[in-house]
Amino acid sequence: MSSGVAVDLENITIRFGDFTAVKDANVNINGGDFFSFLGPSGCGKTTILRAVSGFLDPSEGRVLIGGKDMAGIGPNKRPTALIFQNLALFPLMKVWENIAFSMEVAGASAGERRKRADELLDMIALGGQGDKLPSELSGGQKQRVAIARALCANPDVLLLDEPLSALDLKLRQHMRTELREIQKRVGITFIYITHDQGEALTMSDNVAVMKAGVIEQIDTGHHIYDDPSTPFVASFVGENNVFRGKVKSINGANAVISTNRSGDLLSRITPAQVGKMQVGDDAMMFIRPEALELAPTDAASETTITANVMNEEFEGNSFSVFLEGDGGKMIKMSVPNLGQDHISARGENLSLRYDASNAVAMPAGELASE
Amino acid sequence: MSSANLIRVALGAYLLIFFSYLLGPLVVMSLTAFNSASFPAVSPWACFSYEWFEVLFNDKHIRDGIYYSVVIGIGTVILSVSMGLAASIVLTQVWPKLRSTYYTMIIAPILIPGVVLGISTLVFWDRVGAFLGVSDGSLLHGLFHNGIFLTILGQSTFIASYTMLVFVARLQRFDTDLTEAALDLGATHTQAFRKVLLPFMRPAIASASVLAFLASFENYNTTTFTILEYKTLTTVLAQKVRLGINPSISSLAFIIIVLTIFAALAFEAANRNKDRKLAAAQGRGVTQKSGILPSFLTGNPAAVVLVLLAFMVIVMVGTAQRYSPEACKIAVREAKQIEIQKRIDALKETRRQKEDAKAAQQPSNAAPATPNNSSAFGNVFAPGNLSGDAPEQKVDEPEPQSGTGAFGNVFAPDNLSSD
Amino acid sequence: MKKPMIFSQFFKNNGAVMGSALIGLVAFWLIFLIILPQLSMLDYSFRYNLPPAEVGGPKDVYTLSNYEHLIYGSDSSHQTYNTVDLKVFMRTILAAMLVTIFNIFLCYPLAYFLGQSKGSGFVRLLVVLLIIPYWINEILRAFALRIIFGDSGLLNEALMFLHLTSAPIDFIRQDIALYAGLGYAYILLMLFPMYNVIESLDRNQIEAARDMGASWLHIHRRIVIPYAKPGIVSGATMVFMLSAGALAAPQILGGPSSLWFTQLVYQWFNDSLNWQQGAAYAIVLLVSTIVIVLTVMRVFKVNMGDIGK
Ligand SMILES: Nc1ncnc2c1ncn2[C@@H]1O[C@H](COP(=O)(O)OP(=O)(O)OP(=O)(O)O)[C@@H](O)[C@H]1O
Ligand SMILES: [Mg+2]
Repeated sequence: MSSGVAVDLENITIRFGDFTAVKDANVNINGGDFFSFLGPSGCGKTTILRAVSGFLDPSEGRVLIGGKDMAGIGPNKRPTALIFQNLALFPLMKVWENIAFSMEVAGASAGERRKRADELLDMIALGGQGDKLPSELSGGQKQRVAIARALCANPDVLLLDEPLSALDLKLRQHMRTELREIQKRVGITFIYITHDQGEALTMSDNVAVMKAGVIEQIDTGHHIYDDPSTPFVASFVGENNVFRGKVKSINGANAVISTNRSGDLLSRITPAQVGKMQVGDDAMMFIRPEALELAPTDAASETTITANVMNEEFEGNSFSVFLEGDGGKMIKMSVPNLGQDHISARGENLSLRYDASNAVAMPAGELASE
Repeated sequence: MSSANLIRVALGAYLLIFFSYLLGPLVVMSLTAFNSASFPAVSPWACFSYEWFEVLFNDKHIRDGIYYSVVIGIGTVILSVSMGLAASIVLTQVWPKLRSTYYTMIIAPILIPGVVLGISTLVFWDRVGAFLGVSDGSLLHGLFHNGIFLTILGQSTFIASYTMLVFVARLQRFDTDLTEAALDLGATHTQAFRKVLLPFMRPAIASASVLAFLASFENYNTTTFTILEYKTLTTVLAQKVRLGINPSISSLAFIIIVLTIFAALAFEAANRNKDRKLAAAQGRGVTQKSGILPSFLTGNPAAVVLVLLAFMVIVMVGTAQRYSPEACKIAVREAKQIEIQKRIDALKETRRQKEDAKAAQQPSNAAPATPNNSSAFGNVFAPGNLSGDAPEQKVDEPEPQSGTGAFGNVFAPDNLSSD
Repeated sequence: MKKPMIFSQFFKNNGAVMGSALIGLVAFWLIFLIILPQLSMLDYSFRYNLPPAEVGGPKDVYTLSNYEHLIYGSDSSHQTYNTVDLKVFMRTILAAMLVTIFNIFLCYPLAYFLGQSKGSGFVRLLVVLLIIPYWINEILRAFALRIIFGDSGLLNEALMFLHLTSAPIDFIRQDIALYAGLGYAYILLMLFPMYNVIESLDRNQIEAARDMGASWLHIHRRIVIPYAKPGIVSGATMVFMLSAGALAAPQILGGPSSLWFTQLVYQWFNDSLNWQQGAAYAIVLLVSTIVIVLTVMRVFKVNMGDIGK
């Protein structure tokens, strides 16, 4: 079993004609990591993966696998295996032939191939199904065959392009755990692409969030969620209430933001931006719905917002309360379900408070989608 | 109500006319293959006979023609299928701005008259020879002036466009990720082509090959220019047909028609069978437990007809070994001779009348009763038989009113019912 | 700068071996089978028919004489124009057009019927019946018609039997056999493109129109025919080109005096052994038919991409 190998992207830019699909990406992936690229559709995730696997050459920059420059090395010579967005199982070959294809092209005998395929079939819990055609398998089974086929090539790096996107929710959650387990077992580097943040956050050691060809942040799932370094990341990953305004004062890692509609609010400056913000700058401040809680009505401070209840939705483990603050500012609050019948009444005026350490401020920028 | 009926009747009539136009000539031609008359015709029907098949099988030109047609067909299949496949793959990858120009160029040969293709091939390779300065008798000179070589090139020029169309249709459903997956798993480009794309294209390659072979086999316009000293079946046929036709060509046509029907039915039956298997696999198939007929035949009319047809052919070949039309032929000859005798008699009669009239010296009343030889066959056979054996039959045998009528002789030979 | 990029990408996508094989095959086809032969025929048509010894010599210069011959005839003839050949040319083009139009009218109802009544066993049978004559040799098909139209052919026999005519009609000399044969030879190339297009027409469109009270004629004029246009034009193009370029049918079904333009080409090549003259005639045929087809395609706004579907 091969151990993980590091993958480094150095200043990669990829252009299609005049269109720049990936702009100056720098990524260092440790050997044996589960690394995810997260971003909205069309942001260039697949393009990066294709550059790693060798189907296209970056217009600028280098791809290093295990420290070795991959320029001029074709996809069939790289120690990577790609699991395609649509799996790309060979429809005319039996399942076991699919799995052992990499051995077939390397000239292994049918006996050897069958043996290895059967081992892998057992591993993916499809023992005895090797003689089926891919069309005779269920979605999740095909998924596992694709993984086995890639693993059979003994790659140092496994590249997965949204492999779970076609599955239903239950199967998807199941496959997440399974993938993570496989990764731990084989110990190779996984590079995983998804636009599902839940997937990225639960499985990965590190996540790169992309926006329109640019890598916005590379961090652990925790940091991506708690310390987003750009407004895009803050608004793309999870839900967030955004407050626009200007920096009123800065005190070390904290700042007071004079928001356009909700008064002055105190917030932590996101770690990546500490020391980079100036008083008077345009700023954005984010508070997650679950960081808001009810406060006594008369409490007036720099961590309190008042708003009128518009609507309330029951979501099982929590209630979502939608409120309208001053100037029509929409705010969402999430309250855990602890057995209450309801949180609020429509039209009720509420005071919401938060802990300043749960709010993050950063220079204003583009949001994921408004 | 009645207008709907009217439309239905009109549609029926139209279908009848259309298919008569399409199939009628082929049926008539097939029938003439079995008429012993030396000119292909169904009327007058002489004798049911297989002799034209014998003539056909003994015709060296036709045998040679078939041989070269097959050789050229194979060469054309190989060349046009490879070129068509390559061109269709390139079409999927060609730079978008170039695509329509490229497509126009590779589809153009379909629209170039075959005559023009033949000529240009001939002229071009002659030029190539001259340009390279190859001398008479050298290997290259021989190649550039070899009818088989030139014909394969000339035919492939446009047949490759046909195969290309077949491949493009299939390639549209190919997922290029599959090729990339193969490469990613370590396959070379050649391996990826051989193990992934080629198996996917196999059905299309099969149908393109059949198409190419048939198109080559029946090509005339291009071949007649490029074939030079060789012969293909079509050029032999064209020559024969132009020089004078005889029913051995009909018998060849009959064989080709039967083979075509065989192929069409087999294809249809295979399709049906596949459809049903698919339906059965999907769990909504008909219950298959017919005891008498094999499952291949149940609910598959094409297959049933196919089997019947095969049976008929076997019977035909079987009877052909036994059946001899000699008796009939003699009868026909005799009938003919009676006819001739009658004419001679009539002639004599007129002459006698004339003489009588002369004798009676009434020239104004003389009726010029020349026999009416409106039938071409009458003329064809008359001279030979007139000078031949003398007629000596019972003159009182009843005869059809008009011996040369369209159906006059059809019922004469009893053999017809043995068909 | 861009072109080499494209090529390198092509070789990257296909590998050196496969890439060269693909490019090689396509280049061979395009250059050696399509482009250069047409060009060399064009070149040939502007040259004198010289004995081999003089080829490449001082007399081997370009000339328009081969084209002049088609228009003015040979120097020795008494007429100002080459009326014989020009007449043949005009007749070929016009007759090919007529045959095409005839085929359109004959095939449209059937294409519609087949295309709209999907999948029934009867329709399948009809399609099989259609395919059979498609694969019978062109020569044999012409031969079949000759049996029918001949002096003593079935048709004449039948007509005389019915006393519709007293003497056989010379269908061949009257060119009736030729036109029937040309119509017959390529009818399926008209039918199938039409059928393929009409088959893809959504039945609901027709039903919606009928629902709104459109007459039968109106439905065809406004819905079916516009939709089927690419198929009709594609079929018409094929039939026209093939009829104008036909050789077998005129040779077999044409009367001794009624020549088809391709027969003139054939004679120049095979009887007179004047390739240059023949090439010029072939070029005239090619260019005029292509001009006609392109004009028709432009008038009816149909693309090259629709041909051959
Ligand atoms: N071969 C190509 N030629 C031109 N543009 C391309 C090509 N491949 C991708 N693009 C463009 O590059 C951008 C990024 O594409 P990419 O496939 O990497 O998106 P993605 O992030 O994988 O999206 P998704 O989540 O939908 O798969 C898109 O705007 C796409 O249109
Ligand atoms: Mg993608």
